[in-house]
Amino acid sequence: MNSFILPLLLLIPLIGAILSVAMSRKQEYAKYVAIICSAVTLAITLFCLYDLSNADYVYAQSSAWIDTESIKISFAVGVDGMSMLMILLTSLLVLLVSVFSSSEKDRPSTFFALIMAMEVGLLGVYMAQDYFLFYIFWEVTLIPMYFLISGWGGPRRHYAAIKFFIYTHVASLVMLIGIFALAMQASAGGALDFSFEAVKAASMAGLFSPAFQLVVFGMLFFGFAVKMPLVPFHTWLPDAHVEAPTAGSVLLAGVMLKMGSYGIIRVCLDVLPDGAHQWQTAMIVLAIIAILYGAYACIAQKDLKKMVAFSSISHMGMVLLGIAMLSGIGIQFAIFQMFAHGLITAVLFMVCGIVGHNAGTREIPLLGGLAGKMPVFAAFMMFGFLASLGLPGLVGFVAEFGIIMSFFEYLADIEVLWPIVFALASLMLTAGYYLWAMQRTLFGKETDKIDLTNVHDVSKLEGISLGVLCALIALFGILPALAMGLIENMPLVLWGVV
Amino acid sequence: MSVIQEGIDALMPIMPQFILIIAALIVPAIGLKSGKASSIFTMAAAALAIAVTAYMMYDGYTDSFMDIFEFNDFTGLMTVLFLIVLILVSLISYSGSETRKHHGEYFALLIVATVGMIFVAGASNLIALFIGIELASISSYALVAFKKNDPASAEASVKYLIIGGLSTALSLYGISLLYGLTGSVAISDVAQYLAEGSFTWTYIVAVITVIAGFGFKIAMVPFHFWAPDVYEGAPTPVTTFLAIGSKKMGFIVFFKIFLMMFILAQVLGGIPEMQWLFAFLAAATMTLGNLIAISQTSIKRMLAYSSIAQAGYILIVLAVGSSYALEGGLFHMITHVFMKGGAFIVVAALCARGLSENISDYRGLAKRAPLVAFAMMLFLFSLAGIPPLAGFDSKFVLFSSAVTPDGTWIWLVAVAVINSAISLYYYARVVKAMYVDKGASTEKMRVPMPFAIAIAICAIATVAIGIYPGPIIELCESAVKAFLLM
Repeated sequence: MNSFILPLLLLIPLIGAILSVAMSRKQEYAKYVAIICSAVTLAITLFCLYDLSNADYVYAQSSAWIDTESIKISFAVGVDGMSMLMILLTSLLVLLVSVFSSSEKDRPSTFFALIMAMEVGLLGVYMAQDYFLFYIFWEVTLIPMYFLISGWGGPRRHYAAIKFFIYTHVASLVMLIGIFALAMQASAGGALDFSFEAVKAASMAGLFSPAFQLVVFGMLFFGFAVKMPLVPFHTWLPDAHVEAPTAGSVLLAGVMLKMGSYGIIRVCLDVLPDGAHQWQTAMIVLAIIAILYGAYACIAQKDLKKMVAFSSISHMGMVLLGIAMLSGIGIQFAIFQMFAHGLITAVLFMVCGIVGHNAGTREIPLLGGLAGKMPVFAAFMMFGFLASLGLPGLVGFVAEFGIIMSFFEYLADIEVLWPIVFALASLMLTAGYYLWAMQRTLFGKETDKIDLTNVHDVSKLEGISLGVLCALIALFGILPALAMGLIENMPLVLWGVV
Repeated sequence: MSVIQEGIDALMPIMPQFILIIAALIVPAIGLKSGKASSIFTMAAAALAIAVTAYMMYDGYTDSFMDIFEFNDFTGLMTVLFLIVLILVSLISYSGSETRKHHGEYFALLIVATVGMIFVAGASNLIALFIGIELASISSYALVAFKKNDPASAEASVKYLIIGGLSTALSLYGISLLYGLTGSVAISDVAQYLAEGSFTWTYIVAVITVIAGFGFKIAMVPFHFWAPDVYEGAPTPVTTFLAIGSKKMGFIVFFKIFLMMFILAQVLGGIPEMQWLFAFLAAATMTLGNLIAISQTSIKRMLAYSSIAQAGYILIVLAVGSSYALEGGLFHMITHVFMKGGAFIVVAALCARGLSENISDYRGLAKRAPLVAFAMMLFLFSLAGIPPLAGFDSKFVLFSSAVTPDGTWIWLVAVAVINSAISLYYYARVVKAMYVDKGASTEKMRVPMPFAIAIAICAIATVAIGIYPGPIIELCESAVKAFLLM
């Protein structure tokens, strides 16, 4: 059972994608294929979670894929707490997004096939235990996203799609050079072995000199940073988000951005601990810039969706800040923040999608007084915004609290306290732009700039998706231990860095 | 009886070529009757030759023919590769629209050119090498001109002939100097001499003329300018043949002379100057090819420039000069046959259905011919190196070979990687045109059956090698081992 449960997790969405494409003559049934396959995937994920909670082992499975005298690549997959949490987030969001988008009328069979293909790539990234495999899945996520944006996006979708593709592809290629360097150094003249295990063993054996770590950490970090994205490598993100369809945005911000921070923890910190210490200050500075710049840019945005996109940059900066602490607490809360942001941002992008669709525009100055016309929608939007700005009792608060706490500890340790001001300023900015945006769109007089007579509230399926997400946000806010317990169980990472 | 047995034994190392030569003699007679029959006959002969070669490789057969040609795993692998090219090109020439009434001559020329290429792969002395190249080249000049009444084809042929003549003259001059220096035409002696690297003027002139002469053949910058015109003007099946067949032959020549020398030289202490020369040529070739490809509006020209860029990637092998790099180079040559071949065949198939070569004509193709568009997308993404397609795997091996412990060629990998990203831009543009843009016509298109089969072969190979590259890498490994013993 244990040996094929992870391949099964990959196989089911793959079958879903193929079936969905095959539905081209009965387009209206494609959504059922997507919903059923993603529900099965989620069920298997939940089973894994249950199974893992009973024992402190990990699933790991490896079989040789390419095994020659000069190069060794294995189909190695494995999960621990961190991967499991990300896999849970992925399978959950894919299911909810499929439900949310089930009214898609434009070429639904291709649309849902792309979403399923996306899920294969995302799950693969989070379970790969071989660099070759990791890179393949990493790149595989790009293609469905490219087509989702360029096929179902807004007016500037072609530009946004190609920018997204090239930007992140360049970054992954730099990462690829880093991977080559890791494998080359680790195999020391023998067959190039790309498995996580071999590279980690080399790292433990001290084969990576500090100078090597400094350079290779830089290459890998760049690859991951563009994905996260960090300022100044973020410019692809607002364009991609503004043009992407709602489902694309949710998966992009909810799960794809996490690939970057996941990679930093899984690869950079794990095998290059010296490099992490050498880069620590730089990471903290980049994190603070991302947090503040993201929040600051939010204030200026007129498009609601663009604002949410910039808020993602700010929140992912928070994740990096937690990682950069290089302490057990910091990294654990960073992972928790990845999970929390995934849930919250899904609500936010769904809300933006509904506004754009129902009211016909997402321009904040044109909106106003929506609460009267769309009360259920307004409740979800308020809930999402409050969760995102860190209202105590909701999931975002726990994560940010933990990260700022560990930041404070770090600062107390080096006896420089003033940078904590940045973290506090970001909290205020965040609260500011969310409340202001809410005030202008939901409350006040009903706008006369757009025609609100035919505006209807959220549909039933949209309501279900949003409701589930909001319930989970509250649940994990009150009982963070549900996820934290999982995060502590991370035997696949050696924590050489801490 | 024993005489026949002896004859067969003596001929055994060149048995595949022998079969092909017989076929080339028979095919003009068949061609008088029917083009389709001669196409089938050519494919059958090639298939027979593949079977023989595969059996010889399986049997572990190695022997040399009169000390000029050696059959081993390397020769065997390249023979199979060239024969696959021959089959693909014959398949898409099946309808005979390109060959007019001269089917027999057309297929005979194709076969003879293939024989030349195979001779190059196994040549163990410079004279045999040169004769092989000429056999392939002279047949190609005629093939490029096959659309006699089309001025573009004629122009392409004249260009190709003049450039080809120049390159032949240069390389022959270089070879004669090498002979003068070493007193031997055996490639191993020449490589040995070069590896010792006493930089006299004669040495330098000999090396440079050889590089320039064969540089034309692989369209290496700065000897690349003929390629787009010739590729554009030639009948598309012939273009396919040139892009995926002739070019490979040029690389084999480079590997034979220079890679041997570098590997020998590493034992003696190395000649970094020459490796740096090739590194710069590689960087220039891939960068220029990719940058010019961006601005092309004709898909054939775009693919021609992308071929130049791919040649740049393979030149990394010569810069790095290790056996692992050669493995990557051979692997990339193999995948290139299917992905670039596939792309050209798609172009040929659409041409046959009256679609022009302008990229703008490819708009909305996904609606008109969904399977062909999908295959084209696979080929283009594979060329760009997107996993899990074959092109990614071979680039992965090739580029990773340049990450050496001393880190000398990291910059070259960086250039190659940036180039891969640039290339993605123009490949994705075609994909966008096919899938996203609305076309002027929405009329369904069916490509002719032979083309469909050829496209399917290439697409299946591109995906299958991408997902399970192990066996191919192993073949490359044993080929490299045999190559180093030659």
